[in-house]
Amino acid sequence: MKASANNLNQTQIDGNVIDRCKRGDVRAFRELYNAYAGAMYNICLRMTGNVSDAEDTLQEAFIQVHRNIGKLERDASVTAWIKRIVVNHCLNNLRKKKVYFEEVEEVEVAEEKGIDEESFTWTVAAVKSAIHGLPQGYRTVLNLYLFEEYSHREIADMMGITESTVKTQYMRAKEKVRQIVKQQNCIR
Amino acid sequence: MPEDFESFIQQHRGAFDEPGPSPRVWDALEKELEGSRKGRVVSMLGKNWFKAAVIAVLLVNAAVLFYFARHKQQQQQDLAVVIPEMQDAKVYYTTRINEKLELINAYPASELGLDSTAKQELQLRNDTYKTLENELKKNPGNERIRGAMVRYYQLKLELLDKILEELHERHAAPTHTKKQYEAEI
Repeated sequence: MKASANNLNQTQIDGNVIDRCKRGDVRAFRELYNAYAGAMYNICLRMTGNVSDAEDTLQEAFIQVHRNIGKLERDASVTAWIKRIVVNHCLNNLRKKKVYFEEVEEVEVAEEKGIDEESFTWTVAAVKSAIHGLPQGYRTVLNLYLFEEYSHREIADMMGITESTVKTQYMRAKEKVRQIVKQQNCIR
Repeated sequence: MPEDFESFIQQHRGAFDEPGPSPRVWDALEKELEGSRKGRVVSMLGKNWFKAAVIAVLLVNAAVLFYFARHKQQQQQDLAVVIPEMQDAKVYYTTRINEKLELINAYPASELGLDSTAKQELQLRNDTYKTLENELKKNPGNERIRGAMVRYYQLKLELLDKILEELHERHAAPTHTKKQYEAEI
């Protein structure tokens, strides 16, 4: 059975579970994993673009969580801490695959002939497909901003690029998605 | 006009999520955790072994001192013959003990995991030794003191051997000097 996806805003974990995790209690760590695995897996999936890489990244990130949980301060947000570890792991794995975030590529956009702006509608499937088809750099920025709700400044720091590059990539990514979805509307 | 892209994402946020990861992730993770726990237990045993060994030395030292306190009244003053025998034993054991201490001291302090008190206890001329030596000078013919001195030498040698054995097992090259070790890490 697959662990269910979670809305991170609703994820709550008892402080006692964290204390037990710090003492090396594997059952407590499983509780922690079950609470966050779904949401974190979705971050990995959006960032890596495939199930296999997403699961590997999730596993590595949770090993890191386990190793470092002793450093988690009592007042710190567990969610934000785990999420940051997961996102950093995703970014590091992308870097290992020689994805260079600083490049602002020119994305070829097909001409928009015959698309009716008024009848154009968004669908989840179309948007997902369009995001999946984005160049890795754009997709990363768009995911971190739209889905993981990091600010442009935070994204710039995490990716090691300037805030203006983040903004530019985000605008281009958004435009590219809009055009792909419009094309799909036209085909249908 | 089509709905704003960002608003659309926010309104349908949940629909973008996939079901969670397959159980293989937890299975693999659990194996990793088991492995790291084993590693930690082994390393804890390794570190505590030294502490346990030093505690054993302290206990033996305490027992020897206690033994003296109880049997002091039975000591006999006999200043003849025994000094040459003890001198031979002293040379034999102190040479071997000092050789082993030199090998142990070649390892960095962090690797030994011993505090200054424990290190002092490992040395040949610790408080127990000095007490025994004084007693022997006062009572050179006393069999019990001589026996205790020899036993002290033997226990110290056994302990140092075990410490060296442990250190050799933990390091591929037993003849590493402190400098070589530090260069490696």
